[in-house]
Amino acid sequence: MILRAILIDDEQPARDVVKHYLKDFNEIEIIGEVADGFSGLKAIQELKPDLVFLDVQMPKLTGLELLELLDQPPLIIFSTAYDQYAIKAFEMNAIDYLLKPYSKERFTQAVQKAISQASNVNRPAQPVHNLVKTLDESPEFLQRIAVKSRHKVSVVPVEEIIFLEAEGDYVMLHTKDAKHLKEKTMKYFESHLDPGQYIRIHRSYIVNAKFIDRIEYYDKENYAVLMKNGAKLRASNTGYKILKQVLNM
Amino acid sequence: MNHPIFLNKKSISVYFGLWILIAGIHFSIFYFFYGFPIEISMADSLTFNILFCIIGILMWYIVRYSIPDKTNRTNIFINHLTFLALILVIWNGLPYLFLNSLFGSFKPYRELLNISIPYRLISGTLFYALLGMAYYLIIYYSDLQEKVKTESRLRELLKESELNMLKSQINPHFLFNSLNSISSLTITNPEKARDMVIKLSDFLRYSVSTNISRFTTFQNELANIKRYLEIEKVRFGEKLQFEFILEGPCKDHKIPLMLLQPLFENAIKHGVYESTEQVKIEMDCKYIPGYLEIIIWNDFDPNAHARKGTGLGLKNIRERLRLLYKTDTLLRTSVEGTKFFVFLSLPNIEIKETID
Repeated sequence: MILRAILIDDEQPARDVVKHYLKDFNEIEIIGEVADGFSGLKAIQELKPDLVFLDVQMPKLTGLELLELLDQPPLIIFSTAYDQYAIKAFEMNAIDYLLKPYSKERFTQAVQKAISQASNVNRPAQPVHNLVKTLDESPEFLQRIAVKSRHKVSVVPVEEIIFLEAEGDYVMLHTKDAKHLKEKTMKYFESHLDPGQYIRIHRSYIVNAKFIDRIEYYDKENYAVLMKNGAKLRASNTGYKILKQVLNM
Repeated sequence: MNHPIFLNKKSISVYFGLWILIAGIHFSIFYFFYGFPIEISMADSLTFNILFCIIGILMWYIVRYSIPDKTNRTNIFINHLTFLALILVIWNGLPYLFLNSLFGSFKPYRELLNISIPYRLISGTLFYALLGMAYYLIIYYSDLQEKVKTESRLRELLKESELNMLKSQINPHFLFNSLNSISSLTITNPEKARDMVIKLSDFLRYSVSTNISRFTTFQNELANIKRYLEIEKVRFGEKLQFEFILEGPCKDHKIPLMLLQPLFENAIKHGVYESTEQVKIEMDCKYIPGYLEIIIWNDFDPNAHARKGTGLGLKNIRERLRLLYKTDTLLRTSVEGTKFFVFLSLPNIEIKETID
């Protein structure tokens, strides 16, 4: 059995190491080599590799953001030079991760793990997803969100989001010019956006305080928040209380 | 500095309380000891003491504007003698005329007014000296406090910047990625690997030698920047380009150690790390008598939505420039299209301590 692999890393020397180490593995064939996240995503979607060597820090789209956008992720071996949150998360779960610079022994171990995972027919895609989940628990708030539509991938800065709306298992991100659907929960966004600016005013809405135009009565007992783009969003009682608190009303 | 007597209720009541006490003693001596009539004792005590109470308040302004330093000690001394004489004349003359016209017909009092002049001159001088000393003490004490405060703030800032410097110097991403490149080069190009180990060592040595209050020549700083960029070039290859243009005798100009380093680090971080295109970092350095003008600019992608920096790099540099040159206007940044500019103008200053 031969695993088809892609290398995604923005540094040539880093890719050279992987290529050199892989020379000893007949089971692995390198079918592609790219230097940034977007090209990586495209390569994965087009070439459908079995295994991806993925760097975390890359321009435009990080390895983690890339992984989030894949419906059926292949086996992933992460590599990173240093990431204080990632290191902690990596310790918890991963198909494997490599801290640069790594030895050939360490690399071999990771690849063998991947090979044995691949030969297991019911291979669970679980580990990698777990990895992303644990990384999500980093204490930093999100600054951008990678989303994909049928045609393209875009990176939305959270500053530009006017409000977020629950849509079944998805969340709709409303910006000035567009709407983006993201496969996440409201709870996830509630805990990953700065609560001083992104306020959960309702079961279905999180609003960006920067874009609040005014607050008025929705009906006799309830309030509505009017956003600068014209959207009128109902606030629950609890939501209104939080809103008052955050805005110091 | 505000008038120390009118600082708060407490200082007001202490000052006036003292004068009431002195007036009381004054009155008692006249009334009980010499046996003058009550109205004369009262009038004498009140006239003299109320007048000096007012003079005492005004004396603050004499002291406030007669702070001695090395050059003007004699002047100050003469000033004080003049003021003292003036005050004694006013303080004795006015009450004398006033009280004499009221109670001059009462012979024992008239005699006392005449006899007491030397004693009043002595007590006036004493009051002047005591009050003047009190004012000087207050001024020195508050100056001292101010100085201690500024100094501790300076030290705090220095420590803070030093810490930030350390953090930014040994940027772990840079360090581990460079080590990874070296690991790779040992396979593909051992010569180059050794070269890079040496560059990285030199760079780290320069960084850890840093004391942020020290200066070095522009040439030294430039050599370190070049090392830094060459290390990064091994990682990023053709994606990273740089070009420096030096005009005039820039090389020997003294600049703060590791001042430029964070600027280039920013250029790499926001330019090269976030771009898939080629990024060029350029520096123009011009020596204008009295000044070293440095412009650093780089390509960047305004739409990259990079992780926001902490802004520590630039803030840190501003703070250091403020501490070292005592002015706020030496660093300026601007964005023009897809280029980010940093303008620096570093004045010539006398430096005692530099390192090689």
